[in-house]
Amino acid sequence: MRYIQRQSAYARGLHWIHTIACLALYVTGLILFIPSVAAAVGPSAVQGARVIHRVMAAIFVLAPLLSIAIRPKGFVHVIKGWIFKWDEKDKEFMKKFPKYLLLGGSEHMPDQKYMKSGQAVADLGVVFMSILISVSGVVLLWPAFFGGGQIVLWSLLLHDAAMILLGVMLIAHIYIGAGIFQPYRGSGRIMFGDGKISESDALYHWGTWAREEIKKGDSVSLE
Amino acid sequence: MAETAILYDSSKCTACKGCQVACKQWNQLPSPLVAEEYEFTKSFQSPLDNTPDNWLIINFSEVNKEVGIDWNFMRNACFHCSEAACEMACPVGAITKAANGAVVIDQAKCIGCRYCVASCPFGVPRWNEATNTTFKCWQCQDRTSAERAPACVGTCPTGALVFGDRGEMVAAASERTAQLKELGFANAEVYGESELGGLHTIVVAHRGLEAHGLVRDPRISLTNFWQALKPLGGLAAAATVAGLGFSYFMARNYSREDVVYDEVNDTLVNKTEVK
Repeated sequence: MRYIQRQSAYARGLHWIHTIACLALYVTGLILFIPSVAAAVGPSAVQGARVIHRVMAAIFVLAPLLSIAIRPKGFVHVIKGWIFKWDEKDKEFMKKFPKYLLLGGSEHMPDQKYMKSGQAVADLGVVFMSILISVSGVVLLWPAFFGGGQIVLWSLLLHDAAMILLGVMLIAHIYIGAGIFQPYRGSGRIMFGDGKISESDALYHWGTWAREEIKKGDSVSLE
Repeated sequence: MAETAILYDSSKCTACKGCQVACKQWNQLPSPLVAEEYEFTKSFQSPLDNTPDNWLIINFSEVNKEVGIDWNFMRNACFHCSEAACEMACPVGAITKAANGAVVIDQAKCIGCRYCVASCPFGVPRWNEATNTTFKCWQCQDRTSAERAPACVGTCPTGALVFGDRGEMVAAASERTAQLKELGFANAEVYGESELGGLHTIVVAHRGLEAHGLVRDPRISLTNFWQALKPLGGLAAAATVAGLGFSYFMARNYSREDVVYDEVNDTLVNKTEVK
């Protein structure tokens, strides 16, 4: 059976780091977000959660920034993946996806390029929310430096709002990306395994891209 | 327990600072042990602002007149609001309202996030870097629970500070304000009767609110209502999980044929047919 290499070891490593940081940020953040949880775990655990939250936040912010410095070409590749001219198939994908997701993959989806149109929209939303949550987090970390008062309260509001939206996106991302959603079974291997996808799955999810890769042949292997 | 309040009458205050000292003494708040720790500003006010170790200070507003100056004193400490912005902002429930209306910080629960500092419309709570917790007046709950007046009230030599049933304090303040108006203080006003749902420090401002540095019509910032996001967040997460659960159920019998790409003829072929 033929497999196509979709993600590099570097990209997967970065994704692992972000996954751990993200999950740790949610666990520690929810302790601070829900007073009854904070009361249940006690002040020492809350203080511990705050320290871990800050360390993980630093990793969450620095990992992609350092990555841009270390692999600028990879960054350009990612940006190009998000910004592309939509054709009719991309528009059709967006129109069909809600029904496809809700009704269990019964809809026939059009072929897609390296980045699905819906994937690009979701990614850009996540990036925007991540910047918002990071900037507001910096203000909350050093409130006195930013003058305290209203800017802190607005940062808190935006931090929490971004957390909720990112949380909803994260749940959906795990459901689809990790292959809990039946039509996406096996896709967890792309980021959490060896970065490969079977020819059949690649043709189903990213038909246009899969054909191009198979024709080129340099990222295809037999198993 | 009935709601109680401190009544501060600026017209009777001589700014002797006995209340400041009594507060520090009773609550065992340390003072600087080095010379000239507080900046000399040519004002009699000292320190210049509340600090984690100075929960109560007397503000000196000095206004030039044709001859001499007006000293407009003000007791600057927590007002113990009924609608307390600090209590709303605290993410861990460390700030609570006592049965008598006093707003109290539980030091054991405080995590030093300083959201209360940012949200208080009066700028009262102060963060202590050494303990990483926030401090403010707690209206001497240890004394009031034993039916004693707060330390500041107990030491006031002129009767500018009185403690008692909140309703009685409001009535006394209104009566005193009427007297002051008759005595020529036309701008005399009562502060705290209805502000932020009713304060538990009632003030007689004999030269008017602004002259004594009081915030007219204090408001809780709209951003303080971020707490409303909590149930919304839970609802959003629950709706997402429910929607995806439905999706999972609908796709329970999902299956598809494996295909391979015939790049020569540019067609997809079912894997079973390839054999």
